[in-house]
Amino acid sequence: MNTENRNFPARPPPPPFSSSPFASAPPPGVVPPQSGGPEAVGFRPPARPFTPSGPPMAPPAGVMRPGQPPLVSQLPGSRPPPPSFPSTAYGPPGGGGSFQRFPTPPPSGVPPPPQTLAGHLSPPMSFRPQQPMAPVTMGPPPQSMTSGIPGGFASPSGPGFQQSMPGGPQPSYPGYPSNQVLRGPPKPFQSPSQGPPSAVSSYPPQTGGFAQHPGQQNMHPSYAPPPTSNVQGLVEDFNSLSLSNIPGSLEPGLDHTSFPRPLDGDVEPSSFAEAYPMNCHSRYLRLTTNAIPNSQSLASRWHLPLGAVVCPLAEAPEGEEVPLIDFGSSGIIRCRRCRTYVNPYVTFTDSGRKWRCNICSMLNDVPGEYFSHLDATGRRMDLDQRLELTKGSVEIIAPTEYMVRPPMPPIYFFLIDVSFSATKSGMLEVATQTIKSCLDNLPGYPRTQIGFITYDSTLHFYNMKSSLSQPQMMVVSDLDDIFVPLPDDLLVNLSESRNVVEAFLDSLPLMFQNNVNVESAFGPALKAAYMVMNQLGGKLLIFQNSLPSLGVGRLKLRGDDPRVYGTDKEYTLRVAEDTFYKQMAADCTKFQIGINVYAFSDKYTDIASLGTLAKYTGGQVYYYPGFQSSIHGDKLRHELARDLTRETAWESVMRIRCGKGIRFSSYHGNFMLRSTDLLALPAVDCDKAYAMQLTLEETLLTTQTVYFQVALLYTASCGERRIRVHTAVAPVVTDLGEMYRQADTGSIVSVYSRLAIEKTLSSKLDDARNVIQQKIVKALREYRNLNAVQHRLGSRLIYPESLKFLPLYGLAIGKSTPLQGGPADASLDERCAAGFTMMALPVKKLLKLLYPSLFRVDEWLLKPLADLDDLKDVVRRLPLAAESLDSRGLYIYDDGFRLVLWFGRMLSPDIAKNLLGADFAAELSRVTLQEQENGMSKKLMRLIKKVRENDPSYHPMCFLVRQGEQPREGFLLLRHLIEDQMGGSTSYVDWVLQLHRQIQQNA
Amino acid sequence: MVKMTLIARVTDGLPLAEGLDDGRDLPDSDMYKQQVKSLFKNLSRGHNEASRMSVETGPYIFHYIIEGRVCYLTMCDRSYPKKLAFQYLEDLKNEFERVNGPNIVTAARPYAFIKFDTFIQKTKKLYQDTRTQRNIAKLNDELYEVHQIMTRNVQEVLGVGEKLDQVSEMSSRLTSESRVYADKAKDLNRQALIRKWAPVAIVLGVVFLLFWVKNKLW
Repeated sequence: MNTENRNFPARPPPPPFSSSPFASAPPPGVVPPQSGGPEAVGFRPPARPFTPSGPPMAPPAGVMRPGQPPLVSQLPGSRPPPPSFPSTAYGPPGGGGSFQRFPTPPPSGVPPPPQTLAGHLSPPMSFRPQQPMAPVTMGPPPQSMTSGIPGGFASPSGPGFQQSMPGGPQPSYPGYPSNQVLRGPPKPFQSPSQGPPSAVSSYPPQTGGFAQHPGQQNMHPSYAPPPTSNVQGLVEDFNSLSLSNIPGSLEPGLDHTSFPRPLDGDVEPSSFAEAYPMNCHSRYLRLTTNAIPNSQSLASRWHLPLGAVVCPLAEAPEGEEVPLIDFGSSGIIRCRRCRTYVNPYVTFTDSGRKWRCNICSMLNDVPGEYFSHLDATGRRMDLDQRLELTKGSVEIIAPTEYMVRPPMPPIYFFLIDVSFSATKSGMLEVATQTIKSCLDNLPGYPRTQIGFITYDSTLHFYNMKSSLSQPQMMVVSDLDDIFVPLPDDLLVNLSESRNVVEAFLDSLPLMFQNNVNVESAFGPALKAAYMVMNQLGGKLLIFQNSLPSLGVGRLKLRGDDPRVYGTDKEYTLRVAEDTFYKQMAADCTKFQIGINVYAFSDKYTDIASLGTLAKYTGGQVYYYPGFQSSIHGDKLRHELARDLTRETAWESVMRIRCGKGIRFSSYHGNFMLRSTDLLALPAVDCDKAYAMQLTLEETLLTTQTVYFQVALLYTASCGERRIRVHTAVAPVVTDLGEMYRQADTGSIVSVYSRLAIEKTLSSKLDDARNVIQQKIVKALREYRNLNAVQHRLGSRLIYPESLKFLPLYGLAIGKSTPLQGGPADASLDERCAAGFTMMALPVKKLLKLLYPSLFRVDEWLLKPLADLDDLKDVVRRLPLAAESLDSRGLYIYDDGFRLVLWFGRMLSPDIAKNLLGADFAAELSRVTLQEQENGMSKKLMRLIKKVRENDPSYHPMCFLVRQGEQPREGFLLLRHLIEDQMGGSTSYVDWVLQLHRQIQQNA
Repeated sequence: MVKMTLIARVTDGLPLAEGLDDGRDLPDSDMYKQQVKSLFKNLSRGHNEASRMSVETGPYIFHYIIEGRVCYLTMCDRSYPKKLAFQYLEDLKNEFERVNGPNIVTAARPYAFIKFDTFIQKTKKLYQDTRTQRNIAKLNDELYEVHQIMTRNVQEVLGVGEKLDQVSEMSSRLTSESRVYADKAKDLNRQALIRKWAPVAIVLGVVFLLFWVKNKLW
């Protein structure tokens, strides 16, 4: 109790500086080197040094003392100094915040205490004691106020704040007893913009103090009116946005330029990774918060999703590939009870003969072959040779027990629509050319198998037996009773039948170039493909050009009925119409068939139904509305090539295990759930991510950490059966504030977007958007309650540093293609296709899609000697608002799927001429960007190439648009400037105001 | 007709390769695969050293040859000529040794030579139809003699191992039950003791109590 109280009082005095004081105070004295900005970070380090020696610390402690007042009260005579000492002694309890923590970390047992971050994380444990005390805190504050007020308040308010480090540090020492010490903190204030983030981070360690901080802040406004005007300048443990009407100005939140924007892209909480170096990399597994609540009640106050986003096969940069391990004769070491794979967090005991499972704490025997002596510290002697005991991500070669059949070869089966529209649009030609060019690069040579079926109103099978010189075509026109005309040779070994396959691909476009058949027997064709493939499984690529119109699975033009839009029935348009599709998908998954759907029609094709096939087989939907080979050809070529050649994991299953007391309760993404927690993924690759949510099963978690282990059992294209294991750990905390500090916006947004898209399948778009809004409101309200209980921050929106982008991303989710506006804003097919795509996107890719980058290139193009070594030099992202666009500039908008080049009206004609050649004055919708014979154009093309190479999973198509060219400009760009108000949607400022209002309503 | 083909290392029963779409249109292929696996296990334990053998199972028959510590096994219809089946296995053996010979001993992971499946597939097709010229010629080849190859029943073959298993199981059951018996005997002994002396103890207790009470009261 005492500890807490101390904090309280302590802070009160600093109040003006409050947020910073804590952190800042120590630094000044101890670490002068720190610059004003980084206060928070800087603080901690200093703190540690102090901790060891309690008494010497005293000066710094002075800062703390304010907090100690409670003690003071108990100890009648001695005020500041005495309390301070005791506080240090107490250190562990965590009263002092940063100082005490130091001691605590070691006990907590967190591996990397030395690291600053580690320190933060560990604190959680220490905090617990503090919390109970919380109630007491209320009492002391008054004291603190009185005591603190005298000196500190007045002075700190004005000058102190603005002054930076300079004055504070040294004076503070001597003056430390006095309020001036407190002033030291002011630094944080000075650097509001930079400061907030850092400050926030620093606070976390002080977890205990969190609640109190708010108090201090309260003091601020009330005690020192001047500061309030300086609102933006305040640095606190949380961030805030001033939304008050500034006197004299009409617009609220005028200062919207200061609103947080993720202009640096996705920022991962790196501190956490440093604290747990043995965790798997965040590209594989990202928790929504790196602090797990210890009780159900705490979890229920955490209104954000609690879960993880897993991308098991994420592409690793060179040099960081996942190591391959063979356990050989000892077999794979797994826990007998929970089947956890051995990982860096297991502990060896009994001189190396036993190991304790980190997930269920079961004591297992170490097999003889795996035995190793332990050294004095209890580490295995052979640790450096055992990658599975040092790396968070490993790949294990699976023995026979993990196979139900011999590893399958990679199989690619193509189901191609050859009806009139397919040939006319050129799709057939582009697709066959691409397939042919990829034959050399298909993974798994020499076992790879390949096969084709084409269809219009009949089905065409192709015998590609290696002994033939030309493929034989067989036509089956009985759609009601489908049969496969040939038992073998429809699916052939590519290396043996290479010539036949090539001959087939060459002749296919010619064979159907005069086809006038407009029917599509899609359902029967799918069934036939299924019958050919179900012996072995594999990947089925469907090229569909029109609405399925014949046989089983035919679909109606339901999307064309405008009467359904906007009604309660609207959602039915977004789910599969015919159960045939879901049934087929289920059957395919069972036989290890993964389906990718490529859709090309310019008319309604019911992607909602077709996409179901991809959704439940772990596949993907590619949609090219109104495909024209001259325009979309490149995109299809790249994306199909990527699909065919990227490393793929076959016949895989994935499971994620976690410690006792918690459980993964729901999964979101494209897959089929085979049992309650086993995801069946017939074909999975690096571009697929899966989200899942956690629930606490026990009311109270007694462990200090929680472990997660993702295991993906799959067959590699080379015919090896492997298990990819990712292990991660997260601390269990008792403090809601800590959870907020450790939150990961990227994965929260990822989970939210999936939830929202799922919601659109059962209710109206409005409802889905509202759900997201409500969730954000609840989360921020809770945070507000946590921090702002006793003071009036009425005019400010407060949020933790870690979630500063959450409101913006929330807005972006509501404006993303699957969720935006009303029925008129995006065609039903586009919505559904985007929905299926977003359900599978990894975090970074999704964030880019939600908040695309917009940058200006004309200046860079004019620079003579600019080179492209680092994309970052060129790409200076701008806020996505119309006012970022200067009519004299040339801008590129890049959301990972499209590149839009926006030519300002006043752009110098030279640039346009250089880039576009002779067409520069023409209507840009008819112009395609081609490399011209001049440096500027080459430079631009190199930039675009670089941007595309940066993320090969999709091929962004290039659109050109000139300012004022309606409606293309609105459609291509303006509508995606999500910070602006458009149609019925809200602008960023309004959105924040709206959130703020709602947060306050029930606060 | 060849139904399935498996190649395994005899020393430890590690599967090395398997025909590709084995088991297609075979309703209970899993059961037969299971049998093959136990057969391999038996082989790795040192039972059945015969290097060529046919084993009947249901409507099918396993043929296998063991050469160079590798077992080549195929399952055919009973009507399929034994001679062809063994020539098929010989073909596989020759190719397998040629391609993978030196690596067989060092192979560590299951299905290390799964790439061989394409060859299995190809060869299998050659032997599919017993009436092709090629196969008839093989059938008539007097030099290749298969009559001495023993035919046994799968139950018999697997039974050997099974019986051993049973014996060891029984003996282990015996030990555990004798232990239980010893425990129970001890327990009974104690109970008998209690039953014998309890009345006496109670009577004595009462007497002493009375004495004590008497002493206290008087």
